[in-house]
Amino acid sequence: MLIAVILLAISQLPLIYCYVEKPGANGSPQRIVSLSPNLTEIIFALGLGDKVVGVSNNCDWPIEATQKPKMGTFWQPNTEAIIAAKPDLVVCESFLQHKEVAETLKRAGLRVISLRIESIEELYNAITQIGQAASCKDKAEPLAAKIKSELDQIRAKASSAKKVKVLWAVQTEPMRVVGVKTFVNEIIDLAGGQNVIAPTGDQYPSIGTETILTSGAEIIIQSAMGTEDIAKQQETAEKFWNRFANLPAVKDKKVYVIEADTVLRLGPRLPGGAMAVAKLLHPELFSQPKNLNQETKRTND
Amino acid sequence: MTDLLTPRRLISKIALCLAALVVVMFVCSLVGTQKISLSAVFAGPGNTPGQNTDYDIFVRVRIPRIILAALVGAALAASGVALQAILRNPLAEPYILGISSGAALGVMTAALAGISGAILGGSPMAAMAFLFAIGTVWLVWFTGHLAGGSTVTSLLLAGVVINAFFSAVIMLMTSLIDSEQLRSTIMWLMGSIGEKDFSTLLVSAVFIIAGIAALFTISQKLNVLAFGAGEAQSLGVNPRKITLVAFALASFITAVAVGLSGLVGFVGLVVPHSVRLVFGPDHRQLLPTSALLGAAFVVICDTIARTIISPAQLPVGVITAIIGGPVFLLLLSRYSKKVGTLR
Amino acid sequence: MSICIQVENLDFSYGPQAQILKNLSFEIPAGTFLSIAGPNGAGKTTLLNLLSGLLKPACGSIEIDSKPISSYSVRQLAKKIAVVRQEFVPVFEFSAAQVVSMARTPYLGALAFETDADREAIAEAFEMTDTARFADRPLGHLSGGERQRIFIARALAQQTPILLLDEPTSFLDMKHQVGIYDLLKKMQIEKQKTIVSVTHDINLAAQYSDMILLLSADGSYIFGPTREILTTERIERVFGVQTFSAQTGQTKFFFPLGKFTKSHSSPPGF
Repeated sequence: MLIAVILLAISQLPLIYCYVEKPGANGSPQRIVSLSPNLTEIIFALGLGDKVVGVSNNCDWPIEATQKPKMGTFWQPNTEAIIAAKPDLVVCESFLQHKEVAETLKRAGLRVISLRIESIEELYNAITQIGQAASCKDKAEPLAAKIKSELDQIRAKASSAKKVKVLWAVQTEPMRVVGVKTFVNEIIDLAGGQNVIAPTGDQYPSIGTETILTSGAEIIIQSAMGTEDIAKQQETAEKFWNRFANLPAVKDKKVYVIEADTVLRLGPRLPGGAMAVAKLLHPELFSQPKNLNQETKRTND
Repeated sequence: MTDLLTPRRLISKIALCLAALVVVMFVCSLVGTQKISLSAVFAGPGNTPGQNTDYDIFVRVRIPRIILAALVGAALAASGVALQAILRNPLAEPYILGISSGAALGVMTAALAGISGAILGGSPMAAMAFLFAIGTVWLVWFTGHLAGGSTVTSLLLAGVVINAFFSAVIMLMTSLIDSEQLRSTIMWLMGSIGEKDFSTLLVSAVFIIAGIAALFTISQKLNVLAFGAGEAQSLGVNPRKITLVAFALASFITAVAVGLSGLVGFVGLVVPHSVRLVFGPDHRQLLPTSALLGAAFVVICDTIARTIISPAQLPVGVITAIIGGPVFLLLLSRYSKKVGTLR
Repeated sequence: MSICIQVENLDFSYGPQAQILKNLSFEIPAGTFLSIAGPNGAGKTTLLNLLSGLLKPACGSIEIDSKPISSYSVRQLAKKIAVVRQEFVPVFEFSAAQVVSMARTPYLGALAFETDADREAIAEAFEMTDTARFADRPLGHLSGGERQRIFIARALAQQTPILLLDEPTSFLDMKHQVGIYDLLKKMQIEKQKTIVSVTHDINLAAQYSDMILLLSADGSYIFGPTREILTTERIERVFGVQTFSAQTGQTKFFFPLGKFTKSHSSPPGF
């Protein structure tokens, strides 16, 4: 019977090759599925929100996105649900798991674009590509340009001050920090900071106590972890970092916990996140925030 | 004399297990997160993509997964049977002699070297996992050989040493790879049944079925091997040659399975053991029935894994352990009573 | 009578200090019943393993039917020599019938199923060893003695001209001890099998074997017809124990005497 099934499969081979992706047919797609939170934000920012018929579980912004039908998780998209949603465009990232899903969907005749989105340059590229695929270049170009100019503005303003030494921790036990080859580092750099960690092979290297002690960090930023209240996390973080009493950041009480996941997502909200970071690094140049998270809300349109 | 295996008895048992497999595959093809109707499937693909999603889902998602699950289950179970025979140990399983750490190392290397693009129509992860798994197994064989002849103990020791060494290398590489890729490779390694294209499935099926058939031809000799190398030789079985052949075949089909699906655990240990409890230790029967029942087992586990917490999916290895464990214990208690306390 | 097994200048050692066999030479004519006896550590089991092809001699040669033992393939040798070693239970529970049927391995075809001829040989072997009634029981459920008889049945089912046995009656009760040796003798007489049996029981050797090979712990040996070789002096020299010998019919028996034996006079010679 296995042989019979295999023979059945082989007999379908001619049909398999009939499903060729029709390039740019029928004009703009009307049913879009997005498998990544970043890409979902971009799609909604391009005004295509009402055309979205499926998102991943992890797509949490904007609010409308959370109400769309779920297509599996970011790491394990549900191919059946995606096909059943009859999309004419599927947007996903390009790492292994998404690439394999893209292959399956293409074999089923769906139109899929896979985008790599791990740096700011790739963000602009992703916006352009989505704009092209969704036939809204007229919206994509301005969006990318707007993000770029806002970031440039921040960079220009921050460049007038001396670079602040920043240590950004993504995890405290064991200690892992933002390395040089990440987009977070690009933001640090743009916001007038300098990563105290030298270039490493790993994007988020784990570092030892010695390195921390000798880093001379003037500001310590910690990404919020887990579901605990931010204020509580801030308290815990300050207590944690007190052991490194010699660091300027600890002496000057410049230890901050920020909601990196939403604030610093490579998407249309990036300038807001960059501004939040800039305000931490150079409060004298950028207006003093009353409450960090309120500030982030204000920068979200 | 009544329990000696005859061709007729064997064929009827195989037919039974094959029927069970077919039923399982059919039923599971109708189960998924989306409801589809068989009549819609038979209506055919339609002229444009998206016209008949029932067909698309059935043919592009369900069928490939089920075939893959069956192939992986068969390969791991058959390999488990062979390895338990040559190591004379019912606790042996396919990954014991270096395959798991070899595959992991291959996958890490692929990620580190940034190999992208397809190799032989398959993903680079798959090809590297396969190549490294095979390479590691041979390394274990040669090391065991050099260390102390081809005795079972030296093989096991070599396997332990090489696994440990490779694990250390993997930890070293973990600190060098960038994190996004790391998470990808680790998730891949954890084992999952994905949707592959039919040409990949066909090639893998040919390899795996051929490997299992080849193991079948030496299965009577595997019976004899249970009594030790000396006894085997006195009965006309060259222990070194048969161990090598069984080892090579078992490693090969396991490596193919690992390349397809990552490391799916528990199947290669529990299925041969359970089938042996029910059907007895004669390898001429144990091998084909384990392969067929192993296939059915993984198909069922994969179906559960992808539907039970929909829309998320569990790794199939979690379900094989959760189901496999209790089923095995049940069989042990039921059949051991019949057989007695000696073991 | 053709020479079945020929051993010449055999040397074997397990290590530089442990030379077990030194310059051993003897010939076993076909259809002979040979006993190999000697104190512990003299090398009896080692010699048996050499004769069965499991071990390779350091120097010297072993010939089976005038061909060097190394020239036989594993399968060919299994059709010539069957070996009964110490009884053993493997990890996988085979039934007694399955164990005996493994003797037919050298004769099985490509698909490895037993033919009628194979089944006949197996049935015959069960009958001869009086083990048919536990054919379907798992090996692990039999007593040591029953298992030993199953392994002997296996050797018989192999239908080889030569049988090598390593203490085949060590776990058997008296009835079965004599029964097995009677069976072996019958195989020798009716089927012209060559029997080589390692034994601790000097009396069984005296009663049944035509030839005897006495191995001493120091590497020396004596080989010849049983009747001539076995004397109380030789036994005392080789085994280091005094014996009382008595004769009944054609056979001389030897009873080992310890310090506390109930006899005040010195044991009479023969």
